[in-house]
Amino acid sequence: MTTLALSEAGESVVARTFSRAMRRAGQALGSMSGNVIDVKTPMLRRCTAATVLEMAGGPETVIVGVYVGIKGSLQGHALLLFSPSDAHRLAQILLASLVGPHESPAEASNDPFDFDELELSAITEAGNVTISAFLNELGMHLHEAVQPTPPQVVIEMAGAILDAVLIDLMSDSDQVLAAKTIFTEGGREIDGTLLVLPRASSLPVLLDALGAIGI
Amino acid sequence: MTVAAAAPSTLLVAGIGEMVFSSSPDSHLVAYGLGSCVALAAWDPTSGVGGLAHFMLPSGPTNGSGPVKFIDSGLDNFLTALESRGAVASRVVLKAAGAASMLAIGSGLAIGTRNAESIQAGLTARGLKLTAVALGGTAGRTVQLEVGDGRFVVKSLSTVTEL
Repeated sequence: MTTLALSEAGESVVARTFSRAMRRAGQALGSMSGNVIDVKTPMLRRCTAATVLEMAGGPETVIVGVYVGIKGSLQGHALLLFSPSDAHRLAQILLASLVGPHESPAEASNDPFDFDELELSAITEAGNVTISAFLNELGMHLHEAVQPTPPQVVIEMAGAILDAVLIDLMSDSDQVLAAKTIFTEGGREIDGTLLVLPRASSLPVLLDALGAIGI
Repeated sequence: MTVAAAAPSTLLVAGIGEMVFSSSPDSHLVAYGLGSCVALAAWDPTSGVGGLAHFMLPSGPTNGSGPVKFIDSGLDNFLTALESRGAVASRVVLKAAGAASMLAIGSGLAIGTRNAESIQAGLTARGLKLTAVALGGTAGRTVQLEVGDGRFVVKSLSTVTEL
């Protein structure tokens, strides 16, 4: 089985790729919302799905996730995960200049899992832009285009979101590239986690692309 | 220095591809955050033996995988282990939950739907049947079997149901 074994140099190339991609994502989100938004990935790690669940606070912890499937020459899954409170705050920032101050239904109902259509749409777009930026960065070094599926937002238990993805990877590896992702606007910081789960058969493609970037 | 003995745990967790059993009436058997996976709960009212299996897929290669990762091979592993603890398969109460389809992954029939069909067909082929189910839909679930009385509690974000 091919594993996601990267040398120290390889790890730093992946980290640089993430960080270039996140700069683009920040620019895209900034032009969408009219704010200056900075996206950083200060911590990148390669881990197993079990570790991802621990990072999310356990399988029963409710998270907001944007899912994008990856097809084409590189196959797998990508997810951008937020806690419900961070997802609300990100939506507020993105919506502020588009529709003015937006009152989240969660404030009125006191239910952190209560999102309205506008919020979900803003979060979906943030996930789509962030994941696409990473795929575009990789895609420049692949022979064939990477085809992301339409983004899908879910508010669910972390275990339930990940088990569907892991089942699809079954009999493949369950190695995950996980990047802590921080969205900053003004003095406000929002924490997210970007997960990239390549199919085992796509690992050589991923490593080739990363190699072309700079190893 | 004295070392206190650890209290016996009454909460047993079945992770993906794992099964747990107990005959202790104060035990709770739990599977957290089921998406398209299926949890099968079995409880024998006569012997008081309970078991919970956390299946992942309808079928697959058995070498090196967990005892109940796949429904086709895992059902026998689960029922055999249950009977070795004093339960009798023909009198166990069987309930299942999970098999949701929440992400648009891949093409063709969703894994959740295939898992739901597979668990019912697998039990039928063994002359057994489910007495209660919470299968399908788009919501994740956490399930808990109370070994003391056989109650099977299914929780999603918005509902708590007792089967």
